[in-house]
Amino acid sequence: MATAEAAVPRVAVGRAAPGLAITVLALGRRALRNSLRRPQFLAPLIVFPSLMLAVNVGGLSRTTSLPGFPHVHGFLDFQLAAALVQSLMLGGVSAGIATALEIEGGFFDRLIAAPIPRVAIVLGRLLATGALAAGQVAYFLALGLTFGGHIEGGIAGVVLVLAIGVVAGVGFGGIGVMLALRARNASTVQGIFPIVFVVLFISDAFFPQNLLSSPADAVAAYNPLSYVADGMRNPIIASISATKVIDGLIAAAGIAVVAMALSVWALRGRLREE
Amino acid sequence: MPAIEATKLEREFKGGLRAVDGIDLAVAPGEVYAFLGPNGAGKTTTVRMLVTLLRPTGGEARVAGFDVARQPAEVRRRIGVALQEAALDLLMTGRELIELQATLHGIDPRSVRSRGDELLERVGLTEARDRRVGTYSGGMRRRLDLAMALIHEPQVLFLDEPTTGLDPVSRLTLWDEVRRLKGEGTTVFLTTQYLEEADQLADRLSIISAGKLVAEGTPGELKAQVGRPHLDITLSDGADPGDANRVLERFGELQPPGPDCHFSLRVGHGAADIAPVVRALDEAGLRVASLQVIEPSLDDVFVAKTGRHLEGASEQREAAADAAGSDGDR
Amino acid sequence: MTASLRAMGALVRRALNEILRVPGGAIPGVLAPTIFMLGLSAVFGKASHLPGFTASDFRTFIVPVGFLQGASFTGAATGVNLARDIEQGWFDRLLLSPTPRPVLLAGLVGSASLRALMPASFLLVVALIVGVHWPGVLGLVVAGALVMGLACVMALWAVMLALRFRTQQAAPLMQIGGFIAVLFTTAYAPQALLTGWLRDVARINPVTHVLDGVRQGFVAQVTWGKTWPAFVAVAGLMLVLGALAVRGLRRVGV
Repeated sequence: MATAEAAVPRVAVGRAAPGLAITVLALGRRALRNSLRRPQFLAPLIVFPSLMLAVNVGGLSRTTSLPGFPHVHGFLDFQLAAALVQSLMLGGVSAGIATALEIEGGFFDRLIAAPIPRVAIVLGRLLATGALAAGQVAYFLALGLTFGGHIEGGIAGVVLVLAIGVVAGVGFGGIGVMLALRARNASTVQGIFPIVFVVLFISDAFFPQNLLSSPADAVAAYNPLSYVADGMRNPIIASISATKVIDGLIAAAGIAVVAMALSVWALRGRLREE
Repeated sequence: MPAIEATKLEREFKGGLRAVDGIDLAVAPGEVYAFLGPNGAGKTTTVRMLVTLLRPTGGEARVAGFDVARQPAEVRRRIGVALQEAALDLLMTGRELIELQATLHGIDPRSVRSRGDELLERVGLTEARDRRVGTYSGGMRRRLDLAMALIHEPQVLFLDEPTTGLDPVSRLTLWDEVRRLKGEGTTVFLTTQYLEEADQLADRLSIISAGKLVAEGTPGELKAQVGRPHLDITLSDGADPGDANRVLERFGELQPPGPDCHFSLRVGHGAADIAPVVRALDEAGLRVASLQVIEPSLDDVFVAKTGRHLEGASEQREAAADAAGSDGDR
Repeated sequence: MTASLRAMGALVRRALNEILRVPGGAIPGVLAPTIFMLGLSAVFGKASHLPGFTASDFRTFIVPVGFLQGASFTGAATGVNLARDIEQGWFDRLLLSPTPRPVLLAGLVGSASLRALMPASFLLVVALIVGVHWPGVLGLVVAGALVMGLACVMALWAVMLALRFRTQQAAPLMQIGGFIAVLFTTAYAPQALLTGWLRDVARINPVTHVLDGVRQGFVAQVTWGKTWPAFVAVAGLMLVLGALAVRGLRRVGV
């Protein structure tokens, strides 16, 4: 005979913790939704690179006639990769700020206290950053096409630009998250904003390497950002070159792997201190 | 002329929300007036209109004799305001802040320093005056806020929830200061969600609920409106309920006895009735095990007028009952 | 009158206080224009080889843009700080004082004009070290006055937005205004070299005159013809935005 007690449904206590993939997906979806609901953080990723693109193209379009400038349809085509890299880097800062705000607000502690693989906290945020990066790439390519740009590599070119962009975006997000885990406050993470531009200015994102002034030209040759920018630019301005695209992918993947390792390491460090 | 006077004062926000819905009130000079209500009742909106931070959408209000909407600068010259969150610049020192406030109120630069120091001393912040406000405790910030509100010797002082979130000691210090200001003749308009605060400090109070005033009067008047005090008496085991009934009926209206010889007696005065009742029971050979005076509280007034308790009132009631219980036990 | 001046001075001192007590907070704003000057000239330096470019080197041409960017950042920061003061309730305290509203505004904006000299001074020192042409004392005085004026203009813009939105979340909007105002000019190249749409925008953008006024000492000589339009532009912008900001301030409270 069933007792009254047995009839009461039991709460699922003691079930195994959810798996890594499910957790990453859930946290990623949450982080993405959170980002999309904060237009004040999203706006800079889109608006500033768009304005800078407009100013660069409007002010310096004649520079394509300088000796040594590669053949392009227009300066806009050349500058699209610069706007993309800039936007993706700002996306990284934004991911860092979001993480720092979660630490400041205490939500991060709630995640740590949950029975989930801790690495999922970082990976979830990076998944959202990657998804956002795909959106950023799509936006800038659409913007370029709207204002008379060309994508020489066609559909395959778009896919390659997306691939490099998403991997690089995840990498920049990893750097932002790592900084947030170390600094633990949003204003410090926000403070790296100018550094984004320093790193950009010593790459060939904005201008061909052979036309950069010394010593920026020499530094740009070793700056992984140059390879990321060239990798995304090549399918836009010319027929696809395997070397440039592969170099771009390798550079983006390198940034992503190092940044993810550093951010997971920073998370471990943070957990040890608690 | 009242120090504060509002007639059919209204504030409607965009979207049609009527936060303050036709309030009439008059506060006499030198009076401490408490404005009691739960969060969202319209207390802060009313204060913001009275201190010229918000334009009324209907009715009118005069403070220190000047119309808040037409003569805001005159009003500002005559009022001091301590804000709910004690909004202070945490990077500045206490002294710098009070001197900035003095300058903004146009105080003669030669007396800015001495006036500031005098007020800092008054609120007990002399030692901390050169420290940044960011290092101050909550109580210290409220005291600094009060000192700043007093810098120009205002005729009318508005205190918006001055003790919310403070520890009991800081709360008592602030209460003492309010009493001192009253002694000096300052009119004080105090909003609070603490019944005890209103009871302790206010000459008169009003209760606001959903934007309307639902009660106004002295604490005593309001309590009298909802009922008279009663004595909760428990007699020792073996007492004869019939005898007890006969004795107690002489003093007031008696509820039927509960279990364990427990009686509830409605009396005329409250605490003053204890001695004669106990003496009469004693003379009849009935021993009192415990006795408690239950006074109608402002919470009872609040419930009677609004149909609900004030937030946190139950804790206050329990604390009050604990205190009364320990005093009243025989 | 003297009481108003004293109140204004006290408000300016309070704003400057913030820089001294949180020096870290001011560093990005001070460094950014210099980073942009060095970065843009490293990247786009060869643009000065284009026929029709009026300066001998791109760095000298771009330094004045850095000055105006500094003014613009400072102006936006003033608005962000005001929005923070509004959010935290501090601004209510100012509104409760009998200080006339325009004096409150002047105190806020005046601090921006002084603060703008920090990024400008840093930029000037770095620029001179890397070999930018010395603009002469007169050129420098004119540039300094215009930078201070533009900082006031940008602060008025940001203050107007802060009063409207009452939240620091409006910060990007404040910054974007300055960004457009300063860069949609002859910032990167002389008017003749600009693309059609930017040439038109630069022509009607009053900040182009301000930029020309600041730039004249660096690329040539100070002339009356380049100076007065710059000051008229600043004065006009101040008047318009000042009126809007005062209106915004009057709407806050009674």
